[in-house]
Amino acid sequence: MASEQKPRVELLQGTLDLIVLRSLGTMGPQHAYGLAARIEQVADHPLALNQGTLYPALVRLEQKGWIKGAWQRTQNNREAKYYSLTKTGFRALKHETERWRRLAGLVDKLLLQEP
Amino acid sequence: MAAVRRFLRRLANLVLPDRAESELARELDAHLALVSDELERRGMTRDDARLAALRAFGSVARAKDLHREARSFAWLDDIRQDIGYALRMLRRSPGFTSVAIVTLAVGIGLNTAVFTVTNATLFKGFPLVHRNDRLLYLTSGPGCCVSYPAFEDWRAQATSFSGMAIVHGVQRTLSDQSGFAEQYEATEVSADTFRVAGQSPMLGRDFSPADDTPGARPVAMLSYGFWDRRFARDPAVVGQSIRISGTPTTVIGVMPRGFSFPQRVDLWVPLVPTPEVRHRENRDTWFVFGRLRDGVTVEAARAEMTTIGRRLEIAYPETDRGFLPVVARFHEFFIGSSATSIYQAMLGAVSFVLLIACANLANLLLARAIGRVRETSVRLALGAGRWRIVRQFVIESLMLSAAGGFVGWWMAKWGVRTYTVFASGSGLSPDIRGTWFDNVLDYSPDFRVFAYLAAISIGTGLLFGLAPARRLSKLDVNAALKDGRGGSRGHGGRLSGLLVALEMALAIVLLAGAGVMIRSFWNVYTADVGFKAENVVVALLSLTGDRYRTRDAQTAFFDDLTTRVSTIPGVESVSVGALPGGGAQRIAYEIEGTPTLDDQRRPRLWGSTIGSGYFATLGVSLLSGRDFNDTDRPSAIQVLIVNERFAGRHWPGQNPLGKRLRLFRGRTPGPWMTVVGVASNVAQNDPLQPDANSLVYLPFRQAPRPDSWIVARTRVPPGTVSAGIRDEVRAMDATLPIPLGPFALVDRMADRYRYRAITGVLFLTCAAVALLLASVGLYAVVSHSVSRRTQEIGIRLAIGATARDILALVFRQGLLPSAAGLAIGLAAAYVVNRALEAQLVQVSPADPVALVASSAVLALSAVLGCWMPARRAMRVDPVVALRHD
Repeated sequence: MASEQKPRVELLQGTLDLIVLRSLGTMGPQHAYGLAARIEQVADHPLALNQGTLYPALVRLEQKGWIKGAWQRTQNNREAKYYSLTKTGFRALKHETERWRRLAGLVDKLLLQEP
Repeated sequence: MAAVRRFLRRLANLVLPDRAESELARELDAHLALVSDELERRGMTRDDARLAALRAFGSVARAKDLHREARSFAWLDDIRQDIGYALRMLRRSPGFTSVAIVTLAVGIGLNTAVFTVTNATLFKGFPLVHRNDRLLYLTSGPGCCVSYPAFEDWRAQATSFSGMAIVHGVQRTLSDQSGFAEQYEATEVSADTFRVAGQSPMLGRDFSPADDTPGARPVAMLSYGFWDRRFARDPAVVGQSIRISGTPTTVIGVMPRGFSFPQRVDLWVPLVPTPEVRHRENRDTWFVFGRLRDGVTVEAARAEMTTIGRRLEIAYPETDRGFLPVVARFHEFFIGSSATSIYQAMLGAVSFVLLIACANLANLLLARAIGRVRETSVRLALGAGRWRIVRQFVIESLMLSAAGGFVGWWMAKWGVRTYTVFASGSGLSPDIRGTWFDNVLDYSPDFRVFAYLAAISIGTGLLFGLAPARRLSKLDVNAALKDGRGGSRGHGGRLSGLLVALEMALAIVLLAGAGVMIRSFWNVYTADVGFKAENVVVALLSLTGDRYRTRDAQTAFFDDLTTRVSTIPGVESVSVGALPGGGAQRIAYEIEGTPTLDDQRRPRLWGSTIGSGYFATLGVSLLSGRDFNDTDRPSAIQVLIVNERFAGRHWPGQNPLGKRLRLFRGRTPGPWMTVVGVASNVAQNDPLQPDANSLVYLPFRQAPRPDSWIVARTRVPPGTVSAGIRDEVRAMDATLPIPLGPFALVDRMADRYRYRAITGVLFLTCAAVALLLASVGLYAVVSHSVSRRTQEIGIRLAIGATARDILALVFRQGLLPSAAGLAIGLAAAYVVNRALEAQLVQVSPADPVALVASSAVLALSAVLGCWMPARRAMRVDPVVALRHD
């Protein structure tokens, strides 16, 4: 088991928010576990993040009014809180994505130039 | 918007944490259920799935913590924790806590009380008057008072004011259907007074411009108090007619409760500009007031009024030359600049006390901080941030200062109440209430007082809390944990030494200030006024009505009254006349043999009308000649008595008896009057300068007056004959009012130095509190250091130090900072006393008695503060001390 593990990716401050926004944007309404599973799937690693750390991000986004949660039933008839993007959330996603691209591009460029 | 919403949600979460918490718990449960469902589907057993789910989730507690932090104000939670901790710490040392709270309460209470009084006197202005700060008070100077035509010119020409009105105070008698007459305070004002003041009547109508035109139907506005007292708050009184000095007058309205502008007023009547009032040289209205137009500064208004004044000087050279408008703010006009400085001095004195209290607490906290070194180092070692440590200590001191502020608030309320009783003289006879403003000013606290209270409470908390906190937060954790005592003894000792020196310096400044104030008060109190006020009872009578119109009737009334009063048991002698120390009139005169001057340049003297026996009754000695007697009839030769000062000035080296002078009524000279006696000097307007005023006395029989004081010397306490005097007056004329008295003359005298007494008492209180705090502070520092150095003292004793050496060691530590403080304080005291100089009477700011006495008191208390710990140090048993940790 241990040998399988890649080094854990420490998320940059604020990136988790963007990841959550993006996932909700592409997948539609989703509960926290669904989000965690999706992120693990994308990251190609089951232990990339503690699922618990999603919660502060969800609260933050909810307080900003970018997402909102509502209790629903899953297909297996379990109750779960489904989060979805609000209208401002969609705008924020666009805005944050651009910002991230600019930042990432800048960092990339710097990394390429430095020996 | 988003920020606001986030803030509101966080706030909601703070207030209702349970809802968010249970919601989160439900969500986390659901989450774990989903994960284990998934794992079970992949073939795990239920229990394994549950465990794996938890593992994947990470720490539930941490997730909850993070969630909590994100959704709420984490720092607020922290502070709540800190407050709880601080409360526990404070509760654990009740001695320290109560000493600290009491110290602060005294400091904060004194400050708040003095600020409340200052605020009421200097800043608040008249109750129920709109925007007091925009009202200006105008008179023409030098001296006082405005002529009505000048007021009209000002009002017509000035553009700085949105409204201007004039005030003229008079006293009149009121009678109505109920039959008895009452003397009351009426104030004549121009019709737009209430509009300029920004207050309208609560009942009836305001004055209209027609009301102050000549020939208008007389109207009056009642004050609430008068309406209540006299008419039992009957609304039907509006529209009714009452008789004011015999004139039927219609009541048009009642002003709201508490409105009393610009003095204690029973009612207002319009000032009708009769031809008499409209004389330009008739400068006898009290003052003009105006409301500044929006955006106009006081300086601009002042400049404009000066320009207008110069214009009037040119237009009316005979009457207006030399008189310019004087524009003043509320406190400049009513309180005067020297009184303003006394309030500043009082504020200064109490702030010194507060500073000493702060220094004291800082020292106490420093001592405690040393005791808490180990606790703090453990917290630092466990990862507490330095900021967190500082915050913890600051919160502790803020809680102390908040408690002190709370207790201080109650003390201040009590202090202000005491002050108002004292200042308004209601502890004395109600007839001799002091100056006008004590009856007008509103001492209830307003937002300024609360802001001040909050500011000084928080300010002191920060001031005395930061020093120890900073010191602790800079601890060297390793060293501290190893030796457990912090080791940085030198620094703490130096800081507390400095604080002790500061306390001593402030205390000496206060002591010296109190010293000169008390010396000054004593000088006023014991000043020889030239007469004996003890055992004298006085009452003012005012003969109104047709019965007393003639001079004969006036003479007969007072003759009869004197005879009647002299038969009251306990009365030794009786006379009539103006009261000494006020009540004389300014009269133009001419001495026989001097050239006749024109009207403007004719000299004026102070003249006082008295009956026979006046000098004996008041204990004024007659130096030569004779007293007035029954032979001084109107038809006889006109006589007068001069005082020593008058005689010395006009007939130096000659016998004044038989000299003649005459008085002027307007431009008409009276008959020549012959000097028949010389009386010793009596302090007239300033009790400190008995010979400042030359004075002449006129015989009541030859110059009777409708109003005069009756003066009686008693063998019994003066209060006991008051009822008898009242009865005799009533027996003669039941409808005759006694506007003032009867009361003891000494009480009226007390009125004169009451303000000096108040400031003296305040300074003395401050000095006493300061001395107590400073010596307790010194004691605490020395005592603390002795207990910390027990081991060291033990070693010294063990290696041969004598008790004397130990004594010297302890005293050196306490007395060095005290001496430094004393030296600095004496220098500062001189500077501060110089600022008080305007208030001092016959005392130098560097008064050696005050300075030496206060230094001695301070030195003594410093020695006492060191003596007790020193004795403890000498008794240290080396064997015990060396084992002492």
